[in-house]
Amino acid sequence: MSDFDPGRRRFLGHLGLAGLGALGASSFLSACASSASGPTTSNGSGAVTIQSNLSSPQAKAAMEKLIETFNAQGKGTASLNTIASETFRTQLPTYLTSANPPDLYTWYAGSVANDYASKNLLLDVSEVWKSLDDYPQSLRTLSTDASGKQIFVPMNNYWWGFFYRKSNFAKWGVQEPKTWTEFLALCETLKSKGVPPIGIGLGDTPWVASAWFDYLNIRINGAPFHRELLAGKQRFDDPKVKAVFTRWREALPYFDPKGKAYPFQEATTALLAGKTGMFLIGTFFADAAPKDALGDLDFFRFPIIDPAVPLAEEAPTDGFFASAKTANPTGTKALLSYLSGVEAQEAYVKASSGIVLPANPKAKASDSPLVVKGKAMLDEAKELTQFFNRDSSDALQPTADTALTKFIDKPDQIDAILREWQAGAEKVFKG
Amino acid sequence: MNKLRTGAFHTGMILLSLLWLGPVLWVVVMSTRSFDDIAAHGVGSLPRSFTLDTYRQAWTDGGELRALINSMLVTVPSVALSLGLAAMAAFALSRFRIPGRRTILLLMLAGNLLPPQILLIPVAKFSELTGLYDTLWALIAVQVGFGLGFYTFVLHGFMRDLPGEIQEAATIDGAGTAQIFTRVMLPLTRPALAALGALSFTWIFNDLLWAITVLRTDDNMPVTPALLALQGQFVSSWNVIAAGTVIAAVPTVAVFLRFQRHFVSGLALGAVK
Repeated sequence: MSDFDPGRRRFLGHLGLAGLGALGASSFLSACASSASGPTTSNGSGAVTIQSNLSSPQAKAAMEKLIETFNAQGKGTASLNTIASETFRTQLPTYLTSANPPDLYTWYAGSVANDYASKNLLLDVSEVWKSLDDYPQSLRTLSTDASGKQIFVPMNNYWWGFFYRKSNFAKWGVQEPKTWTEFLALCETLKSKGVPPIGIGLGDTPWVASAWFDYLNIRINGAPFHRELLAGKQRFDDPKVKAVFTRWREALPYFDPKGKAYPFQEATTALLAGKTGMFLIGTFFADAAPKDALGDLDFFRFPIIDPAVPLAEEAPTDGFFASAKTANPTGTKALLSYLSGVEAQEAYVKASSGIVLPANPKAKASDSPLVVKGKAMLDEAKELTQFFNRDSSDALQPTADTALTKFIDKPDQIDAILREWQAGAEKVFKG
Repeated sequence: MNKLRTGAFHTGMILLSLLWLGPVLWVVVMSTRSFDDIAAHGVGSLPRSFTLDTYRQAWTDGGELRALINSMLVTVPSVALSLGLAAMAAFALSRFRIPGRRTILLLMLAGNLLPPQILLIPVAKFSELTGLYDTLWALIAVQVGFGLGFYTFVLHGFMRDLPGEIQEAATIDGAGTAQIFTRVMLPLTRPALAALGALSFTWIFNDLLWAITVLRTDDNMPVTPALLALQGQFVSSWNVIAAGTVIAAVPTVAVFLRFQRHFVSGLALGAVK
């Protein structure tokens, strides 16, 4: 042993020290972790947790403020959890079916909520609705599930319309159209001036095309047929549905050809820069507009095609539903009552930059001319629809995206497209 | 002729690295533009504004500090634990005649070939059953579990090639199995451990899928879901997201720079006797 090479011995010794050092470091780090991740275990106290998908900075700040106010009132405590909306969408079924689910969720009214209700996942909130007498019947119906109990509490809604820049319309010397014929004439005028008349953004956001389908269908066939179609009680290869596409084809040459490539956010940029004439979109698009352009925006309602069809508008309603498994139903309902109250709704509308209308009829909406006009349009409507996916399901939306993008590309193949759509929809309904 | 070749090589390489750095530069430039600039001219246009407020927004409004701490709380223990366990497993499998060692190794590798997507729901349900759902422990457990197979496989290959004489010499010196492992094998595996450490750090730090599968409280979210949460339902402030991305990239870059030396020493090991 004594003739061992000292250099080598030193080498081993060094390595040994280094190894010990590494071990020491790792155990120190894990000790660090265990002490710090201690408090992350769930808050077992009576606090009501709200799982929120309102992740845009303004909406998030608005929600935080509401919850702060609620906690200060002393009627209970709540904690807000803001999750990226895309994550929220995919995880919502997991949240609802987990053994210890969050109590309250932001989500959409309509058949998407009723789907969960039919699986007994949602809390009966009829008690909250007892104090919401003055809400319009349409919102009450919308929040009621198949068994007749209320499962949803609406917070606000918004509208869709053809948005344009007032200064551009003045420059081009054109007026808002009222009927389909006037609309096509307007498109022709804009086209002759070298402006692509109709902006659209289908890259990454193909669902925007569904607004066209929804609106043409409720203008030609009416809202009841539209709802039945989306519920699987009518067929997509029905001649009545084909009539929708015959009309659409009349407007198709006026679509901005670049619109297939970019998402609606960029279509917004194009509209504001005067590169397109108008854009059928929901009010949320205004969040993507620079602040100085907001005052120049105006909109008109989707033109009337058949005056005999009762007027319907798209008015997607956002709000809350609660888990049936909540450990604290009383606290959850107290929070819902607070959120549906005038004070909370006005505070939310004020704090969030979006153009939204509060659900509570007593709550004042923002008094900008745009909002006044939007509210008047919805008040005038005989029927309100939500939006394609909200009136059907998130599973049916992709079938629409495929069919509609294909139609915009190859309008000649409409018969084959509708057959495929029907086949795709049948799979979803059987699903 | 030779000069021409060198010149062509350099031009080619400069173009290639520009291609590589282009997107990174684009994100950095975007992070210094104002929202109105992006909204008016689009994300692809040349900058017409300069602001560093985006970094403040990402840091405070986006809660990036909390998210980075969470990320470190998950990543550091996960890397240490999975590499430690993998090293032990690789040592045992490569140096001892354990019955069925080939099967064990192949089984570990086979687990790696499963696409993680099909395991999302089982993992979510299992973490709930064990009561770990929505805690960082669940994420650490998942990361260790899913990394173990691959790390063991790599370390096994590395340790198998170490000369047996070193182990024999240590045995003659009177070292037990544990001592051989900690004082001989681990130090010799250091280059492989450093390389794997840097790799696994990046993987775990950049993971999004598992984080959103086993966590649901925003205060627990590591940095990747937090970045995602900067996106609005319809409209996103791309400048703030870009700023957040730049901040989130700092730790991985730092680890890589720190471990770069180990890569080089790992390559040179055995070259000079």
